[in-house]
Amino acid sequence: MKGYGQLTIAQLRIFARNRQVLFWTLFFPIFLMIMIGSFIGGGNDVSLQGVIIDMDDSSDSNIFVDGLISNQTSIDAPVSIQFELSKDESIAKEQLKQGDIQLIAIVPEGYSNEVNAIGGSSNIILYYDETDQLRSTIGIGLVEGVVDQISKQMAGYEPVITVQQEGLQSLNLQYIDFLVPGIVAMMIMSNNLNGVAGQIASWRERGVLRRMQSTTLKASTFIAAQITARLILNGLQALIVLLVGSFIFGTQVNGSWLLLIMFVVLGTLTFMSIGFIIASVAKTPESAGPIAGFISFPLLFLGGVFFPIDDMPSYLQPIVNSLPIAHLSTAFRQIMNVGADLTTLWSEALLLSGWMIVSFIIASFTFKWD
Amino acid sequence: MSEFIYDEPVIKIEKLFKKYGQFIAVNKISFEVQQGEVFGLLGPNGAGKTTTMEMIEGLRKPDGGMALVAGFDTQKQLNKVKEVIGVQLQSTSLFDLLKVIEITQMYASFYPNPVEIEPLLESVNLHEKMNDRVKNLSGGQKQRLAIALALVNDPKVIFLDEPTTGLDPQARRTLWDIILKLKERGKTIILSTHYMDEAHILCDRICLVDQGNIIALDTPQELIKSLDSQSAVEFNLSNEDLLNDEDKKLLEHEFGNMTAVKQVDIHHDTYILYTDQLQETLTDLIQQAEEKKINLADLQTRTATLEDVFIHMTGRSLREE
Repeated sequence: MKGYGQLTIAQLRIFARNRQVLFWTLFFPIFLMIMIGSFIGGGNDVSLQGVIIDMDDSSDSNIFVDGLISNQTSIDAPVSIQFELSKDESIAKEQLKQGDIQLIAIVPEGYSNEVNAIGGSSNIILYYDETDQLRSTIGIGLVEGVVDQISKQMAGYEPVITVQQEGLQSLNLQYIDFLVPGIVAMMIMSNNLNGVAGQIASWRERGVLRRMQSTTLKASTFIAAQITARLILNGLQALIVLLVGSFIFGTQVNGSWLLLIMFVVLGTLTFMSIGFIIASVAKTPESAGPIAGFISFPLLFLGGVFFPIDDMPSYLQPIVNSLPIAHLSTAFRQIMNVGADLTTLWSEALLLSGWMIVSFIIASFTFKWD
Repeated sequence: MSEFIYDEPVIKIEKLFKKYGQFIAVNKISFEVQQGEVFGLLGPNGAGKTTTMEMIEGLRKPDGGMALVAGFDTQKQLNKVKEVIGVQLQSTSLFDLLKVIEITQMYASFYPNPVEIEPLLESVNLHEKMNDRVKNLSGGQKQRLAIALALVNDPKVIFLDEPTTGLDPQARRTLWDIILKLKERGKTIILSTHYMDEAHILCDRICLVDQGNIIALDTPQELIKSLDSQSAVEFNLSNEDLLNDEDKKLLEHEFGNMTAVKQVDIHHDTYILYTDQLQETLTDLIQQAEEKKINLADLQTRTATLEDVFIHMTGRSLREE
């Protein structure tokens, strides 16, 4: 029908001429991606700084100090560790409290005598920042490793079993590979949820819909045109974000583009329908924004956009796992990172379709021209 | 145009009723509109004009009664009705970012047999603005565009809901010309307004509405004739504040007894004396005012208008808040 084509073109013209909206809806995800991507960067590097205070200053204590400083450790973690020698314990403690350093190792006076005595032993004293669990654990592990090695050497101990460590990674995945699909999902969600809710509510308030209602135009034609125009816009925006991710951070699409597009369509339809529901619930266009925000904001943080769902508390997982955004971001991630196909993604496709159908039904029952 | 078509009412409404909660917006009103007629709904804001029009257009569901447009029931055959009507809503804003021609083409695409776009825009003097965005149009141009959009399907009946509200006098006159041209082309027009001069100039018949009720329905001439007087004398009393209610009643009575005065209306602090013999009434008024130490202020005389009809029938002005 002519009306469908004209309405779609009109909506696309409105998108294209509303430069500010176009710019910010596209700029925001790209900005977010570049910002988070650059901060967290390619690796998951943790840096750890410690201070060693050698009160004994004997040849035995020097072995320990050298061992720590040269980082001869069996810990396999992407950490950069730096130890410095110091004399002043109180200054070091102050630094630890300030967070400038994370670890203090003190070799006590008389260390050499104690370890060399027959059946003797000595204690290395460790101070660490209890509030910084990750780095404390790494640091303690490191010191324990060095202590263990020296103890074994001193006791002339030969290990019977050793562990051979070999890293195995078929895919070289980094946080950015996790982030980019999440951002595409976020963009589809927020553009449709907020965009549809805001626009439809405002058109209703301004009587634009009422005026169209007085013509022979059918509601289904109007909605179909809205969907088409938004699909085109979302497809283009997703493509741009993917291209930017690919050029700046080298993210890749390992799976099928067709499947990716299918999920873009599925996500768009789902969140548009929810947007239509919000537009019907909202009494004024001013209230549509906060309502859309109320729904999209928790989805953003719970839905696996920025953090993996596995990291969430277990009692939240059943809820999180039923959210549409979670399945959209998982599906994008699987397609882009692992190259998954529909045989592994059927549950995501099914759940998203379920969300789409239910919200579409509610949307069509609640839709009002005025 | 054959007499036969003229006889058949294009619009027929019967006991149309609408309430919002406890508030009765339209109270079982009935009227008929003939083909080619410009039918005015005149009344203050909130009188029920818009609700009445929207029930005939099929945009609002009546709580009672029925409305027929070109023989089609607006509740049962809404799509048929929509094909033969053109609507300009009171407060429609259009798509600001579209060009005039684009939005007109879009609305035309909603109908099976639209008219040609360019002659249509020419007929509402928007041909030069064809490629301008709606955003950049003036208030009058936007209203003319709204009327053009109401005409894209070459409708039998055109609904214009307060088309000139908020326009400057020049823009209003331009719009009146367009409406009169439509009338020449034999279109039936339902026009709502709260400007009595507009109703007087444009309308063949006027339906005076107030608080959901029809208080009078006739040609402008007959409505004014019903006042029984051709002239009005209007004045305030400068010492009004000093008078109590009893004094005022007495004064009203005295004014009524002056020469040739047929009616006295008090509207706010303004006294209006209706008369057929302006000179005699005026002479008597001034004489008596002198004798009784009544201080007249803002004295003026004029011919009676529809506004007077309305004030006389309701005790309120058309443009009251």
